[in-house]
Amino acid sequence: MSTDTLNPQTPEEPEAPTNRPPSMRRVTLWLRRPYARRVLILTVVIGFLLLPLCWLILAGMNQTGAPASEIMKDIEQTVFVFTLVSIPITAFVFAVLLYSLLGWRRVTGDEPPMQDSPAIRTNTIGVILWTATSSILAMFLVVWGLIELAQITANSYGSISANEQPGQSKSEIINVTGQQWVWTFEYPQHDGLTSDVLYLPLDRPVYFNVTSKDVIHSFWAVELGVKIDANPGAITQTGVTANKLGTFNVRCAELCGMYHAYMQTEIRVLEQDAFDSWVRESGGKKTS
Amino acid sequence: MSVDTTVETSSVFGVHVPQPRQHGAAGGVMRRLNFGTGLIGGVALATIAGWGTAILTPSSASNATFAPMEPTYVYLAVLLGWVIGFMLGIGAFVGPLRWVVGSDITHADAEYMGGKDLGKKRYWKYTTDHKVVGIQYLIVTMLLLGFAGLLAMLIRTELGMTWTELFSPSFYNSMIGTHGIAMILAMIVAVTGPLGNFIVPMMIGARDMAYPRLNALSLWLFVAAVPMLISSMFMGGIQDGWSVYQPLASQAPVGMLGYQLTIIVFAISTAIASVNLMTTILTMRAKGMTWSRTPIFVYGIFASSLMGLYAFPFFQYAQILGLSDRVFGTSFFNPLNGGSVWLYENLFWLLGHPEVYVIIIPSAAIALELMPVFLRKPLFSFNFAVAGIVGVVALSGFVWAHHMYMTGWAPAANYPFMLSTEMISIPVGFLVLVAIGTLWRGTTWTRLPLMAVYAVIFNKMIGGVTGIYLSDVPADQYFHGSMFVVAHFHFMLMGAGLFGGMAGIAFFFPKMTGRILDERIGSIGLWTSFIGFQVTFISMFVAGLQGQPRRVLDFDSQFNISNWISTIGAYVIGIGMLIFLAAIITSWRSGDVASSNPWGSKSLEWQTATPVPLENFPVLPVVTERPYNYGVPDPYEAELDAIDADLAEKVGNK
Ligand code: HEM
Ligand SMILES: [Cu+2]
Ligand SMILES: [Cu+2]
Repeated sequence: MSTDTLNPQTPEEPEAPTNRPPSMRRVTLWLRRPYARRVLILTVVIGFLLLPLCWLILAGMNQTGAPASEIMKDIEQTVFVFTLVSIPITAFVFAVLLYSLLGWRRVTGDEPPMQDSPAIRTNTIGVILWTATSSILAMFLVVWGLIELAQITANSYGSISANEQPGQSKSEIINVTGQQWVWTFEYPQHDGLTSDVLYLPLDRPVYFNVTSKDVIHSFWAVELGVKIDANPGAITQTGVTANKLGTFNVRCAELCGMYHAYMQTEIRVLEQDAFDSWVRESGGKKTS
Repeated sequence: MSVDTTVETSSVFGVHVPQPRQHGAAGGVMRRLNFGTGLIGGVALATIAGWGTAILTPSSASNATFAPMEPTYVYLAVLLGWVIGFMLGIGAFVGPLRWVVGSDITHADAEYMGGKDLGKKRYWKYTTDHKVVGIQYLIVTMLLLGFAGLLAMLIRTELGMTWTELFSPSFYNSMIGTHGIAMILAMIVAVTGPLGNFIVPMMIGARDMAYPRLNALSLWLFVAAVPMLISSMFMGGIQDGWSVYQPLASQAPVGMLGYQLTIIVFAISTAIASVNLMTTILTMRAKGMTWSRTPIFVYGIFASSLMGLYAFPFFQYAQILGLSDRVFGTSFFNPLNGGSVWLYENLFWLLGHPEVYVIIIPSAAIALELMPVFLRKPLFSFNFAVAGIVGVVALSGFVWAHHMYMTGWAPAANYPFMLSTEMISIPVGFLVLVAIGTLWRGTTWTRLPLMAVYAVIFNKMIGGVTGIYLSDVPADQYFHGSMFVVAHFHFMLMGAGLFGGMAGIAFFFPKMTGRILDERIGSIGLWTSFIGFQVTFISMFVAGLQGQPRRVLDFDSQFNISNWISTIGAYVIGIGMLIFLAAIITSWRSGDVASSNPWGSKSLEWQTATPVPLENFPVLPVVTERPYNYGVPDPYEAELDAIDADLAEKVGNK
C-alpha cells in the first residue's frame, strides 16, 4: 500500500487501440490506479456514514412538535436537501484527508524527508471536473433556495390576496408587539383583544404585523418556522397557517437586554370552535 | 573606496554608504521612552483629563432622558487622555515632532529605532524593526486571546450549570459582548500581526516593511486600544453582544464608550497596518519575484489587508455616529427621533462580513503555504489558489445582508443576497481543491504544523457547509439568532482561523524565536483542544437545531444535555490550549536551538540566518524560479506518456 505512489503497477497488458478520446482513456486508466479506487471507496463509505445526518438533523428540529406549518415543512425539506447535497463533497474531502494520512506514504522524524513526492502541478481534467461539479451543486442550491423562498413568501405574505381588504378577509390579523421583555399579541378584528399567549386558529391564514416599543427583538415562532425582527419605528410583516394542534414556543431571537433569555411565551393552536370560544371568553367580539 | 569626507557615511553590512546631510544631533529624549513611560503618560493624561472634565462639567448636565451626562464626559475624557498620553509617552510622535522643528531623525537614530544593539529592551520600545513588531503583535494577541478565552470559560460555566445562575443577567451579557469583540479583534490580528509583520518582508526578500515607523504606530495603537476594551467591563460592560445593535446600545451604561473608542482606534491601527503591508508587498518584492513567483501566503495577507482597508471604515463610522448619539444627543440611530436601526445594521455588516474573510483568508493561506513543505510537492494549481482568493475578495463586499435576512429591512433583497452568498462557495471551493490536490499522493511528513493543517481543513469543511445552510433564506428563517449560528462561526473563526494561526506559529516558531517548538507537548495540546472543540461545537449545533436562541443565560430544560456536553468540551479546549501555551513558553525559553532551515523549505524567509539579522539579508536575494519547487517527476505521467506514445504509434501504423 505504501509504495503505489512511486512504483505504479503497470497495467497487465497494453490496451488495444481504440477510437475513444484520449481524455476518457486517461480517466479509465486513472480509475485503475489502486489509490484512486480506494479513495473513491472511502468516499462512498464516509458518505454512507454521514447519510443518517439527513434524518438526525430533522429529528433535532422536530423535538417539540415541528413542523406545525407548511412553512416549517418547506424549511425542513430545504435542510434535508442541503444535507444530502453536501454529503458527497464533504465525504470526498474527508476521504482524501484520511487517505493522505493512512494510505499514501508517511514519514516521521526530525529531518525533512529524503525523497520528494511527485510534482503534480495541476491536472486539467481534475480541475475541470471539480469546478463543474461544485458550480453545478452551488447553482442547484441557489435555484432550490430561490424557489423555496418564493414559496414560503407566498405561504406567509400571500395569505391575503391582493384584492381583499384585510378587515374582511378570512385571515386572522395579529399585531405583535415586542417590548423589553414581553410579547403582546393584539387581535384587531376582535375589538383589539390582547393576550400574552399567542392563540392561533387551526388551518387559517394568520397575518402578523410586528413592531417593537423599544429595542430590536425578533419574533420567532419556533415550530411554525416563522421569524421576523420586531423593530422600533417600523412594522414588519409576515404570516403563517398553523396546521397542527398543540402548544408551541415563541422565543425572542435577538438580544434585547437584560432579560432577553426570558422573553418567551407559548403558542396555542386551537380548532376554530375553541378559538372562537377563547375569543368570546376573553371579551373579544366574534367576527363575521 | 574613496569617500568624500565631507559627507557622513554609515556602515551597512560593511559597506560605507553616503548619507544625506543630517539635521541636528543623534540622540535626544527618544532614547529614554519605552512602554513604561507610555503607561505613565497614559495614566497621567487620563487622570488630568478626567479630573478636569469632572470639574468643568456642570453637575446639572443631563441628556434627554434626564440621565446625568457627567460620567459619560469623564469616561470619554479619560479614554482619550489614555490614548494620547500613552502614544506620547512611548514616543510615537517623536519623528513627526522632530520633523516639524527641523531636526529630522538621523541615520543613527533610525538604527536606534530599528532596535540596533538594544538587546531585549527593544521589545519594550517604539521599535521599527518588522521582526520586533511581529513578536510584539504575537504577545499582545496571545494576551487578548487569553483574556477572551477566560471569559469563554466563564460563559460556558454559566451555561453548563443549568440548575443555578452564577452571574447576573447584565454581567452575563457584558461577558458575551466583551468575549465576542475581544476574540474578533484578536483573530483579525492573529495571523496578519505576528506573521504578516515578521514573515512577509522576509518571504518577499525585503529588508523591512515599506513604512517601518507606521508599522510601530499600528502596533502601539492596538496596544492602546486593548485596555480601553477591558476597562469597559468595569464601567458597566458591553451588554449588547459584539455587534452592539442600536438602539439597545444607546441604553447601555457608559462602558459602551469603551467599545466605541476601541473600535475607532483599532480601525486606525488596521488601516495603517493594511496600507503598510500592501505597499510592502506591491513595491518591495525581491528582484525576479513576479506575481507567479510570489508565495500564496503573501497573496493571503494582501487580500486580507485589502478587505480590511475597505471594510473597516464602515464599522468605524458606525461607532463614531453611535458615540455622537450618546455624547452629543444626535439621532443617527434613534428611531424615536427619525434615526434608523437598519442603517446601523447595514454599516455594521458591511464590515462584519468582509471581516470574517479578513480572518479566514490568512489562515487558509497558511494552510496552503505549509502543505508543499511537508508533503514535498508543489502547490497544486497555484493559479487556482490565486483565483480563489481573488474571487473571495471580489464577492466579499456583496454579501453582507445575509446577516439581515430576518430584519425585514428589504425582503426583496434576500434573493440577490442569497445568490451572492452561495456563489462565494465556488471560489472557496477552489481553495479546497488546491488543498486536496496538494495532499494528493503526497508523502506526508507528519509534523505538528501539518497536523494542524489537517485540523483546519476538517473544521473548514464543517463551517463551510453549515454556512451554506445559513445563506439559504428559508433555512436561516429557522437558524438565525440560534445557537446554530454560534456553532457555525466558531467552526470558522476558531476551528479554521485559530487552528490555522497555531499551525503558522508552530511552523514559523524556529525562525521567530530561534528555537524548536516542543512537538510532543504541542501536539498533545493541539489534539486535546481539537477534540474538545468538536465536542463543544457539535453539541452547540444540536442545541441550535433544537431551537435554543443565542445569547441567553437561561433556557428550557430540553436544551440541558447539549449544554452540559458543550461545557465539558469547552473545559477540554481550555486544558488543551493551556498545554499548547506551555509548549510555546517552555520552548521559547529553553527549547532546542533551531538551525536556519529546519523544515528544508525553499522559501526565502528560511534562507537567511537564524536569529535573523537586522535588515534580514546580507545581500538582497534574486528569485529565479516559481515557489514550491519540490517534487520528483510523476512516475504515472511517464507511464501515461509511454502509453500515449504507444497508442499513437499503433494508430499511426494502421
Ligand atoms: C462558505 C462560507 C460561508 C458562508 C456561506 C457563511 C454564511 C453565513 C451566514 C448566512 C450567516 C448569517 C447567519 C445568521 O445570522 O442568521 C453567517 C454568520 C456568521 N458567520 Fe459565516 N459564512 C461563511 C463563512 C464564514 C467564515 C469564513 C467566517 C469566519 C471566519 C464566518 C463567520 C461568521 C460569523 C462570525 C457569523 C455570525 C455573526 C453574528 O451574527 O454574530 N462565516 N455566516
Ligand atoms: Cu430578546
Ligand atoms: Cu457573513
